[in-house]
Amino acid sequence: MAPVNLPKTDVVVIGLGAAGGLAVLPLVRAGLKIVGLEAGGWFRPSDHHPDEIRNNIRHWPHAVQKANHEIPTARDGRNGPPLPRPLYHPMMNGVGGTSLHYWAQSWRLTEWDFKARSETIRRYGASAIPEGSTVEDWPVSYEELEPYYDKVEYAIGVSGKAGNVQGAIDKSGNIFESTRQREYPMPALRGAGFADLMANAAKRLRWHPYNPPAAINSVPYDKRTACFYHGFCGSGGCPVNAKNSTAVTTIPQAMATGNLKVVPYAHVIAIEADVHGRVTGARYLSDKKEYFQPASVVLLAGYSYENTRVLLLSKSKAYPRGLSNNHGQVGLHYMSHTRNGVMGLFPFDLNRWYGTPAQGTSLDDWADDNFDHAGVGFIGGGNLLVTMEAKPIEAASMSTFGKAPRWGSGWKAFVKENAGRWAPVWAQISTFPFEDHFLDLDPEVKDPLGYPVCRLTVGLKESERSAMRFMQEKAEQWLREAGAIAIDKLPLVPIGLSTHAYGGTRMGHDPETNVVNAWGFSHEAPNLGILGASTMGTSGARNPTLTVQALAWRTADHLIKEWKSIAE
Amino acid sequence: MAGSAATIVCAFVPASALRFAGTSTPKVLTPKERHCLQATVSRIIPADANGPGALEAGCAVYVESALRDAYRSQKPAYSAGLAALDSCAITRHGKVFAALDVAKQNQILSDFERSTRVGEYADSAFFFEMVRRHTLEGMFGDPSYGGNANFAGWDLIGYPGLRMYVNPDLERLNAAIPRSRVSADQLLHGSR
Repeated sequence: MAPVNLPKTDVVVIGLGAAGGLAVLPLVRAGLKIVGLEAGGWFRPSDHHPDEIRNNIRHWPHAVQKANHEIPTARDGRNGPPLPRPLYHPMMNGVGGTSLHYWAQSWRLTEWDFKARSETIRRYGASAIPEGSTVEDWPVSYEELEPYYDKVEYAIGVSGKAGNVQGAIDKSGNIFESTRQREYPMPALRGAGFADLMANAAKRLRWHPYNPPAAINSVPYDKRTACFYHGFCGSGGCPVNAKNSTAVTTIPQAMATGNLKVVPYAHVIAIEADVHGRVTGARYLSDKKEYFQPASVVLLAGYSYENTRVLLLSKSKAYPRGLSNNHGQVGLHYMSHTRNGVMGLFPFDLNRWYGTPAQGTSLDDWADDNFDHAGVGFIGGGNLLVTMEAKPIEAASMSTFGKAPRWGSGWKAFVKENAGRWAPVWAQISTFPFEDHFLDLDPEVKDPLGYPVCRLTVGLKESERSAMRFMQEKAEQWLREAGAIAIDKLPLVPIGLSTHAYGGTRMGHDPETNVVNAWGFSHEAPNLGILGASTMGTSGARNPTLTVQALAWRTADHLIKEWKSIAE
Repeated sequence: MAGSAATIVCAFVPASALRFAGTSTPKVLTPKERHCLQATVSRIIPADANGPGALEAGCAVYVESALRDAYRSQKPAYSAGLAALDSCAITRHGKVFAALDVAKQNQILSDFERSTRVGEYADSAFFFEMVRRHTLEGMFGDPSYGGNANFAGWDLIGYPGLRMYVNPDLERLNAAIPRSRVSADQLLHGSR
C-alpha cells in the first residue's frame, strides 16, 4: 500500500531527543513550520518512579521499545570476536529522548578538543598522532561554538560554577575550562559529604577540583522547582521536572509558538531523495500505517547508531549506497568513550545513597593538553569524576576487592559492612577515530520489520590503553589520598554499545573524509542536516550532550540565515 | 498454558501495575525447578546471623515473576540450568540439588561458578552469574517486584530507603538517617 501523503512542511525533524528537541526552538522562533517525528511517546512526571529495577535494570519497560528492537551488534575488530550484545539499548525513545533520563552532566569541550590534531603536531610532532587515527581538526572552533553553548545553558538551564569568565580565572570553578562569556545561569548543585571529602583530598594533592555542571536546577528556574536530590536520577526521569530534558524545556517552549507539531509514535524507516540528490521528506510507520511527510528540509536527529543506520537504509537512484554516502563516509570515524573506572573501598560510611550522579567532584588536571604528554604514549587525557547516588542493587553488586567470596554468608557479611563504603572514580578519556573502527549494517541480524541493525566494529588501541592506565593511576592516587584502603580497577577491554557514541556522520570541510560540512549539512544532499554526536570528530574527555546541543542550535541558526539557498 | 495470557498482558502494562506480582502464584517453573531455584538463592544469600536470606526475602518469587514477563526470554536458560544442577546432584550424590546438605550444594554451585563442565551442560558459569545477578535484584530491588520482603535487603546494607525530598543534612558523612521503609508505589501513591 502506498504511504499516506501528508501536507508539506518547512522542516521535518527526525527524533525529538537532546538534539532534535533543542533545534526546534530557534527554528520555530524564526517562523518556520516544523513537524517533529518521535518514535516514542510523552511522559508525565508521575511516570518517573524511584525504582532501580524499572529504570536501571530493565531500562524503562513502560516506554516504546523501538530502540530495544534495533540493538546494534558489536565485534572486536574486523575479524575479531563478537562483543556481548546487551538485552537493552542504552538509549530510549520518548519525547525528550534520552535527555529524559540522562545524568545531565553538561560540560563544554575545550579549545584543545576542536584542534587536537594540529595542537598535538605543533607541540609534540606528527609522530605523536596515534597510528591509524583518522583524526582531523574540527571545522568549528571553540570560539565559534561558545555563543551557542551559552544559548543552550540559558535555554535549558545549567547549574555550575564558572572558572574562566572572559579570561578571569576563578579557583572555585574549573580553572582549565575555556573562556566563557558569562557565569552559569544557576549556581552549582549543592555539595555533599563524600563530594567534599574527595574535593579536600584533591586539594591536598594540589589538583583543582570543582563541582561539575549539570542540566539540573540547583534553584528554581523557568518556573520549575529545584532538584529534590532523591537519588534515582541516573537513568531515571525526574518526578518534579528539575532535570532539564528537552521534554520540559525547549520542546514545550517551541510548541507554545504554534509552529511545532509533535508526532509521537512515528517510527521513521527512510528519508527519500529525488534524482537530483535533494531530500524530499521522511517515510514513517505509525500504528502499522505508512506515511510520507514531505519537507523542504530534513534534519536527522537520532542517536549516532540510528543516524548512520537510517542513512544506509535510505537508498535511491541518487544515492545507491545509502543517503549522503556517495563518498563512502557514512559510518566511518566511529568512536566511544571507554568504560574506565576505579573503585575505592573506605573504612567508613560514605553516605552516597541520595543526590544525583551529576552532583559530585570533578577535576581536569589530567585532561586534554593540561599537562606535558612527552613520553606518555597517548594524546589527550581524562576527566576524573566522583558522584553521589548509590542505588541499592548497584551498591550491593560491588567488587569484593579480593576480601570476600562473591556469595554465601561470607559475602553477606561483607556487603553488610561495605555496601555503603565504596565509590567509583570515573575517568573518561578523550578518544579518537581510527580507520578500522566504524559502523555499518549487520549482514545477518535484523529488526522485527526486517531491516538490518547497525553493527559496530571497534577495538582498544594501545594509545587508549596507555591513557586508561594513566588515568587509573591518578584515580587510585586520589582515592588513597581520601582514605581508601583497597582499590579495584575495571579491566581495560573494548566496549560495544555506549551512551557516548561519536562519529558515523562526521563534520568536516573535506567531502572526501566527512559526511557533513562545518554547519552540519550534508556535503551531498544540500537540504539534509544531521544533528547529534554522530557529527563529532573527537570525543573530548567529557559527556557529549551540551556540545551536541550547541551544535544543533548552530545548525538551526545556519538554516534560518541560509533558508533560501538550502531549502529552495 | 495458563501463564501465556498473563505474559502478553504484562508486556503492555507499567511495572507499577504489577505490585501484586509477588503475592500471586506464579506458574512458570515446574515444582521441581522451583525447589531447585529456592535452594540456589538460599545458598547465594543464606539466612544467618546477619538476617533473612534470599529465600526469606522472596528472591525466588522475584525471579519466577520476572520469568513470566520481563525475563521470559531467559526462561529456557533457567530450565536448562536448574536441570543441570539437579543432574549434577544426582550424579554425584544420588539426590536432587534441593535435597542435598548445604556443604554439598555449595560445592556444586562453586563448580558452576568456576565454569566446570557439568555433563553435557556447557553454560554453568553463565547460569550461575545470571541467577546471582537476579537474586541480587530481588534482594535489593523495590519490594513491589516480590523480593526484598520487609525491606530485608535494604536493612542488610543500610540503605535508608526511598524519599521524595532529601534534606542536605541527609547527604553528610555520618548522617543518622531514619529508615523510610516504603516501596516506590507507596511513596508515590500513599500507603495501602
